[in-house]
Amino acid sequence: MPTVVLMDASLSMTRPVSLEGSEDFQRKNLAVHGLTMLFEHMATNYKLEFTALVAFSSLWELMVPFTRDYNTLQETLNNLEDYDKTCLEAALNGVSNVVQQEWGSGCPCQVVLVTDGSLGIGRGSLRQSLQTLKQRADDKKFPLPFPFPAKLFVMCIANAEELQETDAMDNLEQLIGINDGEGQIFTMEGPLCLKSVQSMFGKLIDQAYSPFHAVLHCGNLSSDVQVFPRPEPIVMDDEVDPMPRIVQTDLEIVGFVEIGDIASPPVTSRHLVLPTAVNKEVDEVGTGNAEDAEEESSANQMAGKSPNFCVLLHGSLKVEGMVALVQLGPDWFGMLYSQADSKKKSNLMMSLFEPGPEPLPWLGKMAQLGPTSDAAENPYGEDDSKSPFPLQPKTKRSYGQNVTVWIKASGLQTDVQKILRNARKLPEKTQTFYKELNRLRKAALAFGFWELLKGVAELLERECTLLPDSAHPDAAFQLSHAAQQLRLASTGDSQQAAFDHNITPMHTDFSGGGERM
Amino acid sequence: MSNLCSYQDVSVTSCMGTRTNMFSVSHKTVFVVDHCPYMAESSRQQVECDILTKSRGQGVIPLAPISKSLWTCAVECSMEYCRILYDVYPTAKLVNYVVSDSEFHSLNSWRQEDQSTHELMSALAAVGPPNPQEDPECCSILHGLVAAVESLCSITEYQHEARTNLMETAERVANRGRIICLTNAKSDTHVRMLEDCVQETLQEQNKLAAGSDRLMPIQQCELVLVHVYPQGDDTLVSDRPKKEISSVLISEVHSVRAGRHLASKLNMLVQHHFDLASTTITNIPMKEEQHANTSANYDVELLHHRDAHIEFIKSGDLHMAGSTSRDSGLKETVTLKWCTPRTNSVELHYCTGAYRISPVDVNSRPSSCLTNFLLNGRSVLLEQPRKSGSKVISHMLSCHGGEIFLHVLNSTRSTLEDPPSISEGCGGRVTDYRITDFGEFMRENRLTPFPETSSRDDSEKCPSERAKAQLERHTRYWPMIISQTTIFNMQAVVPLANLIVKESLTEEDVLTCQKTVYNLVDMERKNDPLPISTVGSRGKGPKRDEQYRIMWNELETLVKAHVNASERHQRVLECISACRSKPAEEEDRKKRGRKREDKEDKADKNGKEDDKSWQDSERLKGTQDKEEQTEAEVIKDSPDSPEPLNKKPRLTEEVQVPEKSKGPVSLLTMWTSRITVANSRKHQEFAGRISSVNNKAELYQNLKDENGMDTHENGKATR
Repeated sequence: MPTVVLMDASLSMTRPVSLEGSEDFQRKNLAVHGLTMLFEHMATNYKLEFTALVAFSSLWELMVPFTRDYNTLQETLNNLEDYDKTCLEAALNGVSNVVQQEWGSGCPCQVVLVTDGSLGIGRGSLRQSLQTLKQRADDKKFPLPFPFPAKLFVMCIANAEELQETDAMDNLEQLIGINDGEGQIFTMEGPLCLKSVQSMFGKLIDQAYSPFHAVLHCGNLSSDVQVFPRPEPIVMDDEVDPMPRIVQTDLEIVGFVEIGDIASPPVTSRHLVLPTAVNKEVDEVGTGNAEDAEEESSANQMAGKSPNFCVLLHGSLKVEGMVALVQLGPDWFGMLYSQADSKKKSNLMMSLFEPGPEPLPWLGKMAQLGPTSDAAENPYGEDDSKSPFPLQPKTKRSYGQNVTVWIKASGLQTDVQKILRNARKLPEKTQTFYKELNRLRKAALAFGFWELLKGVAELLERECTLLPDSAHPDAAFQLSHAAQQLRLASTGDSQQAAFDHNITPMHTDFSGGGERM
Repeated sequence: MSNLCSYQDVSVTSCMGTRTNMFSVSHKTVFVVDHCPYMAESSRQQVECDILTKSRGQGVIPLAPISKSLWTCAVECSMEYCRILYDVYPTAKLVNYVVSDSEFHSLNSWRQEDQSTHELMSALAAVGPPNPQEDPECCSILHGLVAAVESLCSITEYQHEARTNLMETAERVANRGRIICLTNAKSDTHVRMLEDCVQETLQEQNKLAAGSDRLMPIQQCELVLVHVYPQGDDTLVSDRPKKEISSVLISEVHSVRAGRHLASKLNMLVQHHFDLASTTITNIPMKEEQHANTSANYDVELLHHRDAHIEFIKSGDLHMAGSTSRDSGLKETVTLKWCTPRTNSVELHYCTGAYRISPVDVNSRPSSCLTNFLLNGRSVLLEQPRKSGSKVISHMLSCHGGEIFLHVLNSTRSTLEDPPSISEGCGGRVTDYRITDFGEFMRENRLTPFPETSSRDDSEKCPSERAKAQLERHTRYWPMIISQTTIFNMQAVVPLANLIVKESLTEEDVLTCQKTVYNLVDMERKNDPLPISTVGSRGKGPKRDEQYRIMWNELETLVKAHVNASERHQRVLECISACRSKPAEEEDRKKRGRKREDKEDKADKNGKEDDKSWQDSERLKGTQDKEEQTEAEVIKDSPDSPEPLNKKPRLTEEVQVPEKSKGPVSLLTMWTSRITVANSRKHQEFAGRISSVNNKAELYQNLKDENGMDTHENGKATR
């Protein structure tokens, strides 16, 4: 889940923090301090997160495009200049563009807005933006809600009281509201100092950037893992089931399925499954100095040499072309598989299915998937030539069952022509002739289209008169029989017009040579 | 392909990506179709169904064009609505079909098994076209509308199940629905009257429903009145967009000419009601009927949930993606280009959604060619036409069990790109994982669907829990790397290892396990080498008897992990305990072995013949033989043991190694063995001879060792 840090670089950020007995701090310094803490946390515990830095005042600028290089981010942040007034709407538009250009509109993002809470005055101020919200042309819409799923975290370098004195707090709350309530406003508690800015960013980290640690189980084999990006809660049906579903920290493998059988299933999100060392101290926040790094690398080397279940699983999944079905919670499943990034690098990946008992119709209900050894005979065949998947649905779809649709005249014409074509090839085509005839009869009866039945009867009688002398005598009998049956059906007589009744070929016998009729 | 399971009728979640509410207005749709005498009137849209070819045309009077009645038009268009609906939502979107004349006739129920066009067609055939002779005074659409409201109050099995599951929060289950009424109204006032009637019935029924268990009050009802009139007539009813009649009822009026216009109106409505969108697959190569070796390109239009276009919609480039307005001017379709499938390789695409499709023109030739191609199990990638010329594959059409899905493939940059390779992380430096063995393990633990049992015994675990239980059993002892295990590198142990993990064993299984154990005993007696890893230890690794001790211990660990499963598992463990050389005996043997070595050493030092040592060595041989004999006897005495397995190789061995033969020892033999022993002290034995089996040594073993597991996998099913 990429992050955009949207940093307020307006002049108001340079306001000094009045604090006795300490150095002269600007609000900007506090903001930089907080972000430094966030970047450090990410560099240690959230290494794979892509982050971009956008600075804004009345204009906006993409200072650092999406990167995992936190040094660059830090450096740019440290050298940020001061500009003029705050104009949030333009900046949010900028964020929207930057994200969509990089990740499209399906990728969930987090936007961290760092501001002092003075949100501009007059044109371009947030207040003005919000007031004109409803009077806008389609091409000048307010950027929120973002077209992509996004959480907006507002980090105020100000305390709540200060914001409530003006309408800043109200405006910010309204902003979160427009973003479908996705996001949160953080304010500083107590005096504006390094300590309180730390505690505010600490809360953000806990809320949005805490790594997701879990244990992957396969029976008695297991491995500690970090799932990245961390899986977010999902609400399936806000009416019947309003509780968000959360991925549990014990990921239990249920069994295995061939890649061909799982057949590129739709997933709600994808995550890397990274085995972690049992030694948890490495994960502590703020390990930055050289000594620790050295220790860490030796610890990593040690960890690299002790066998890990994830590596074994990954290797076998890759070689066998299979996926492991994994249970994430009650009625919630996902799959583990090997994902190759390039020729050399590959990884254990986990994709989450939509929560529910039957996320993939071709697999059926997940709870009904059991071990093959329970089946009377091996559903994969002794030589692995079969598969129990995909499951067949009870009923066929329209395109699989030769339905009759006469909405376009051509549909009706084709069906009538088909009958006539076969009529001319009687008695060889007797079976097809009657099959097509019965199909037409059924549809005509259902649609109450008796006129068609009479019309086709007339056509068949005409065909009968047009038969060449060379025609087989059976042809004439079958044609007049069929015509007569259609006429009977068109009367609506309960017996003859029964939907399930089929016109059967007239029984004739010309094989004996003599005329016995 | 076997069809063990079929879909359960009642599944609470709708399928795929559509995170809309289960019980929205589209959960229940009542079709009310007018069956009064005036519906028998002709639509005046004529169909020429007698197409005469030039060659046959002469002298034949063509059949007069026929025309459909208003009723026929209404029925076939409503059936088309249902066809599309059932294709895209086979479950949980329900239709109740009601026709109305002098009374109402409900043609089906809310039950899932009643939801098919075939069922409805059959019921419609029984109703037949309206009778123009019937007294128009006693016929009315009102009967049907009242029945529709009553029907919406009755609970569906989905609502019932959801309410039962939610228990005390059952009130979360909403009751909403839609009534689509196809009729021929007299005027706008007539339409108002129909709306008022529905509103009044709603109030009455809601009162009734409040006091009933099987009924639910309606929270929201959408009335879609479609006035159908013959071509050429002026309409007496005006269109009206959605209007709130009351807090419960919203109504809209459409005035449409019968025939083509009605069809496109209902097609538009079904898209609107069920959030559908249209995709046109373009550039489909298709063989011409007449010219089999040429192919022309065709387009096929499909309907599906609109979320399949979400990327286009959100990014606002629906138009850029090649969407065009169609004849109706109201619908848009996104054009995607067919990419001829090159291989049939099985690949796992990153797919963010999969939506069932329904062809717009289901039995046209291009449509059926496409759907049949897909039904045969092929998948087709679809390319998004872009002006820039870069090729972006954005979708895939694929069939799963007779249903075609439009898969949405991710075509944007991944946030997970360039992750550290797994080889750089924990356990990444270990090179001797039992990859092939675990692959085998995964095959054994593949899943298969089981039919749902109607009477679920609480004590009985559901299949997926049984699958987990099997994984638990199979992993009780499962070393992850080759150098951690001996027994799993031995072909001889395979039968036992495969059986012991089973939940229950048959007598035959026990027998097989015992045979495996005897086989191992035999190997030990013959001093066969074991595939013990020498990784980490210097030199040749542990001595042979030490190797066997490790092997037996490991085997015991494996079997002990399962010993509590059953009495038969217990017997396998007993067999091992009985057969493996007892630690005490082992010690004994070691001591004696050392003594012998000492003595021989001495003899060597003395450098001259020593009667005592001669006798000694002979005595030793005797005891050794005796030991062998007792071991063999143990085997023979054990209750259900068969003949020792490898009888043949033992015989040959006896022939080849005369020293081991029983009976009086010749002077020559004694002399030769003495010399051999003495000589062996003076040089280091050839590695090959040490590890030889029956004096045959396998060459270039080191190469195999370097190649990892291959050595140990010989004979096992490797692929």
